[in-house]
Amino acid sequence: MIRYVLKRFLQSMITLFIVVSMVFLLMRLLPLEGYFGDGYDKLSAVQKTAALERMGLLDPWYSQLGHFYLKLARGDLGTSIIYRRDVPVTEVIAPRIPYSMYFGITATLMALVLGLTLGVFMARKKGKTLDRAGTAYIVLINAVPSAVYLLFIQLYGTSLFNLPILFDRYRVKSWILPAISLSLGGVAGYAMWIRRYMVDELNKDYIKLARAKGLPEKLIMIRHVMRNAFVPMAQYLPAAILSTISGSIYIESLYSIPGMGGLLVDVIQRQDNPMVQALVLIFSSVGIIGLFLGDILMAIFDPRIKLVKGEGAR
Amino acid sequence: MKRSLFFCLATVLLFSAAIAGAAPKSEDFYSVYSGELTTLNYLVVAAENEHSVIANVIDGLVEYDKYGVLVPSLATDWSNSADGKTWTFTLRKGVKWVDTKGKDYAEVVAQDWVDAAKYLFDKKNASLTANIAYAVIKNAKPYFEGKLTDFSQVGVKALDKYTLQYTLEKPVPYFLSMLTYVCFLPVNGDFLAKAGARFGTDNKNILYNGAYIVDNFEPQVGRRLVRNDKYWDKDHVYIKRLNYKYNKEASTLGPELFLRGEISSVAIPSSLIDSWMKDSAKKAIVRPAETSSYTYFYAFNFNPNFEAQYEPDNWKVVVNNKNFREALFHALDRRAAMMTAEPYAPERRLQNTITPRNFVNAGGKDYVDMADLAKFAKTDSFSKALALDFKAKAMAELAGKAKFPVKVMMPYNAGSTDWTNRAQVVEQQLENLLGKDFIDILPVSFPATNFLGATRRKGNYALQECNWGPDYADPETYTDPFVTGSNYNWPEKAAGYAQANGKTTYENMVDAAKAEVVNIAKRYDLFAKAEAYFIGEAFVIPYAIGGGGFEASKLEPFSYPFAPFGMSYLKFKGQTVMQRPLSTEAYNKLKDTWESEREEALKKSKF
Repeated sequence: MIRYVLKRFLQSMITLFIVVSMVFLLMRLLPLEGYFGDGYDKLSAVQKTAALERMGLLDPWYSQLGHFYLKLARGDLGTSIIYRRDVPVTEVIAPRIPYSMYFGITATLMALVLGLTLGVFMARKKGKTLDRAGTAYIVLINAVPSAVYLLFIQLYGTSLFNLPILFDRYRVKSWILPAISLSLGGVAGYAMWIRRYMVDELNKDYIKLARAKGLPEKLIMIRHVMRNAFVPMAQYLPAAILSTISGSIYIESLYSIPGMGGLLVDVIQRQDNPMVQALVLIFSSVGIIGLFLGDILMAIFDPRIKLVKGEGAR
Repeated sequence: MKRSLFFCLATVLLFSAAIAGAAPKSEDFYSVYSGELTTLNYLVVAAENEHSVIANVIDGLVEYDKYGVLVPSLATDWSNSADGKTWTFTLRKGVKWVDTKGKDYAEVVAQDWVDAAKYLFDKKNASLTANIAYAVIKNAKPYFEGKLTDFSQVGVKALDKYTLQYTLEKPVPYFLSMLTYVCFLPVNGDFLAKAGARFGTDNKNILYNGAYIVDNFEPQVGRRLVRNDKYWDKDHVYIKRLNYKYNKEASTLGPELFLRGEISSVAIPSSLIDSWMKDSAKKAIVRPAETSSYTYFYAFNFNPNFEAQYEPDNWKVVVNNKNFREALFHALDRRAAMMTAEPYAPERRLQNTITPRNFVNAGGKDYVDMADLAKFAKTDSFSKALALDFKAKAMAELAGKAKFPVKVMMPYNAGSTDWTNRAQVVEQQLENLLGKDFIDILPVSFPATNFLGATRRKGNYALQECNWGPDYADPETYTDPFVTGSNYNWPEKAAGYAQANGKTTYENMVDAAKAEVVNIAKRYDLFAKAEAYFIGEAFVIPYAIGGGGFEASKLEPFSYPFAPFGMSYLKFKGQTVMQRPLSTEAYNKLKDTWESEREEALKKSKF
């Protein structure tokens, strides 16, 4: 197991290095005018050079990359150059993470509870009214662009239930609708997949045997069907929770939640290289850790799954 | 049961009261915004987003009043030397620098302008407005470029505690107007040194001498500006608190927030204006929004650098034919194009000159009414008869030299719905009028990111909608896009305009106007002639001014500083928040009154 962990760690470091370095270099390929916004035309050549020099963009690319990794080794993610000029990147990012994680985790938990419950009932009542109603909900959520129904919920939901239209951390009521809105897609997703996996399991021979042996249906569903159906979903659960750090672009925009959603897009558009690099590093790390934990979780749920080949891995 | 019901009712009432309490009162202004500030370091920024705060927290030597007349601010008096190069300002005594809590830090003194200039001209600080100041101040440019290392030779000096002197490279008639811009604002040198790289990174890392203080600043959450009770002119600051909430979708949610009473002012997007105008209750609270001094024009490119499929060589031949340009000049139905952005009252934004009306005037006479420019100012360029007449002449002259129909590559910004619609309208309108045997307009979409870099700046267009904003209050600023070295449309490459000294006719006319630094009326007259010539040769098609549209607002109009450029118009000094928004009728009545009062004020103005 230790060997497995070390091996995964090494692979992760190599992956991170490649991803971060590629993004670093790609950002340097962007046009220089993007660093100056609309005022580019009015600047003199000396001003442009001075600004680029200040941003460290006139050094050779390998020199810039070297400086970046040296600073990273010291735990320094750099200073924002455009988005929040001269403010350390950690100072920009740190206050935003809790908001995204709070809403993300709440929404994920709500989606898990409601989605799994709905999916289980849909599988048990396959073909009946509840199954059809659940399917209609899933289709609606997947077919209608989220930008449409989320805005609709915000405008009419806040009016109908007398809730604030914008998020305010001091007003408890303003936390409700964003969390619910964020969970809607997850409910549909979890319901759809657990229903599918459960229906697959219900058709397997071991379930027929269990029924033939006279086991109660409830016991079959909980101890066998659900548990086996949940295994493929468990793999993505840690990643889903950890990825809440990246926030939801649209929900956070709509409700003015000062989270991480949209931050990466913003800083890429503004060509704030230190911010882009730091965010890519964070999100990549989160993704890698999530996948690793997912594998561990799968192995816990299904003892047949071995993480290391020598132990008869699947 | 009764107890729980009572509790529920009480909770509902409490929350209702809290929400009702959030509705704007006359001492508070509420707004939402979608563009967060990048910094409060006013010595480096050039964008209006940051200026909207800076204009209210830092005062300069002079300011504009509500009629657009320059009046004293932190300078009470000034004089100009006989040669026009030396300006000496007497400062107002007792003005305080305060911190974010309103606590005194120091007195505002002449040295503050010297310290600000030293910071501005240190190129390590990468100020984006340094060029505006070093273009006029003696030795500032060589200092910035590193050719001069002794700052004492730069033309900014504190003669004593309350006397500041600027020495210019040459006389600059519009120098006073430049002083309202960020690059001429003061800074407390001691505080600046202590703050170091953190200067302006948040509201605690700057000092304030203006009408407001930023007492709360949370990026991506909101900010609040409160009235500075130590402000030298606080009797004219009526709104006590300016409350801003961040929201990325501010343009979408703003109208709804206004209707709920949660914000005091909102611009009505063009996508909603129709539904608002059809609703009598909403129509009654809508009024025109003010236009700006940004100028829009369609530029003909004399330095084509686009893909072979759009036939740049053919374009180069036809664009050098004046009749061809005149055909398009008169064929463009600008009103139809403007309706994509301003479906109601499109004429408000149309303009027939490059320099907008109300930008500058000499002795009460507006610049656009001077010299030959006056006839363009009064005449709509759109004329079907003239367009077809020039078309016939162009085709006759270009027969055998150019291929028809001429491909006209016309980029547009796909990130703008209005511009996307306008590109289609212009294409159909021009082709229908001039005929597809003459031109083939090809709208080509480009993404919003780096749009100008991909199109105009590298000559990747044949005809393109462009814009320009003024840097100072003088017609010279509107010549900057069209002189050699600019990257707008390269008129210096147009065939047949070179004169003996190697410059074009237009550039020689502009140089002659620039050389006139004493007689302002004559200076403006010369610029007007140059601009009239430029338009008469159809190097561009003047189109519109910026701003405009409609808004719903409780802010009293015409009570804040009016300025043709810079940041004065962003000030809240003098403004009040009314109980109810104005209708268009009430607004127009106020505007008529303001315009006649402004005319009188400009005539009496000394500056």
